[in-house]
Amino acid sequence: MDHFAIVTAFGQDRPGIVALMADSLYQLGCNIEDTCMTRLRGEFTMMLMVRLPNGTDADTLANRLTTAMTPHGLAVLCRSMPDGAAARQAALEIPTFMLSVYGADHPGIVAQVARTVAHHGGNITDMNTRVIGSGDAPVYVMVLEIQLQAAQQADQLRQALEELKPLLDVDLTFRPLESVTF
Amino acid sequence: MAIRPILLYPHQGLKSKTAAVVFSDPAVQTVVQDLLDTLAASPGVALAAPQIGHPVQVIVVDVSRKKGETGHGLTVLLNPIILAVEGRKILREGCLSVPDYTGNVLRHQQAIVEGLAPDGRVITMSTSGFEALAFQHEVDHLNGTLFLDRIQSLSTDLFRRKP
Repeated sequence: MDHFAIVTAFGQDRPGIVALMADSLYQLGCNIEDTCMTRLRGEFTMMLMVRLPNGTDADTLANRLTTAMTPHGLAVLCRSMPDGAAARQAALEIPTFMLSVYGADHPGIVAQVARTVAHHGGNITDMNTRVIGSGDAPVYVMVLEIQLQAAQQADQLRQALEELKPLLDVDLTFRPLESVTF
Repeated sequence: MAIRPILLYPHQGLKSKTAAVVFSDPAVQTVVQDLLDTLAASPGVALAAPQIGHPVQVIVVDVSRKKGETGHGLTVLLNPIILAVEGRKILREGCLSVPDYTGNVLRHQQAIVEGLAPDGRVITMSTSGFEALAFQHEVDHLNGTLFLDRIQSLSTDLFRRKP
């Protein structure tokens, strides 16, 4: 039976970080599966799901990766993944929505939006945020992908989000994700 | 005349160029019927011949199979080409030949499509919306292009700065 681990790592952005991580994992016999990596301003961050070789557990991998990465200024974390969570799943026909929220930056936007989404049973499956605008008038932008178990929940969530707008002084749109398969 | 299995990538037939057809060739009518039969049995709205193992330039599109869409109804085109497009649109797109994955692809809202009907008549169609997207996707198949070749970004394009 295959075993999987989640590896997260980050460090100051520069060319060669992905190559270093991928090469280290390859040398250790790991197979890189699903990943998500991005740059957060000057820091490059990586999240990787890896298949472990027989006889290697997540702790062993963490030790070996730390040895390989720390000299290059990268912080590494590694945790085993429950077998059920690692299984590949067919794309499910779950109603999926996009939520854009933006407004003058102030503390609490993410917390209140996320709390509202959670309260209505919404599952955030992807999220990006960015501070944009000028230094003296920063604007906060967040884009979320949200899954709901039933399309009927969407109206209630939309209503709750509308009520949040004046409280947070933000603009937002909540819309079904247009996804087509040909 | 049969329902054919829809080929899945990495079948190399999906990455190969296809040959133009002659409408009077009896083999072309077989391809057309296979496409119609396979489309009728599939959950999709359109198919291209290479998806069912025929490396030739034939597509079928019928967006009326999707609730709320009408378009031009069931359309078979031989040797189709996209003459013109307008109105860029980023779309989350998937493909029956690449299951369980979607990506953000740049398409166009309007497309003028030209090809031959199975009886050899030249057909020029002005398509828009969902139907225009379907034609763009299917004509791509005839050139060995998958939506994976057109992905703009893995998640959102919102933050992508112009170079």
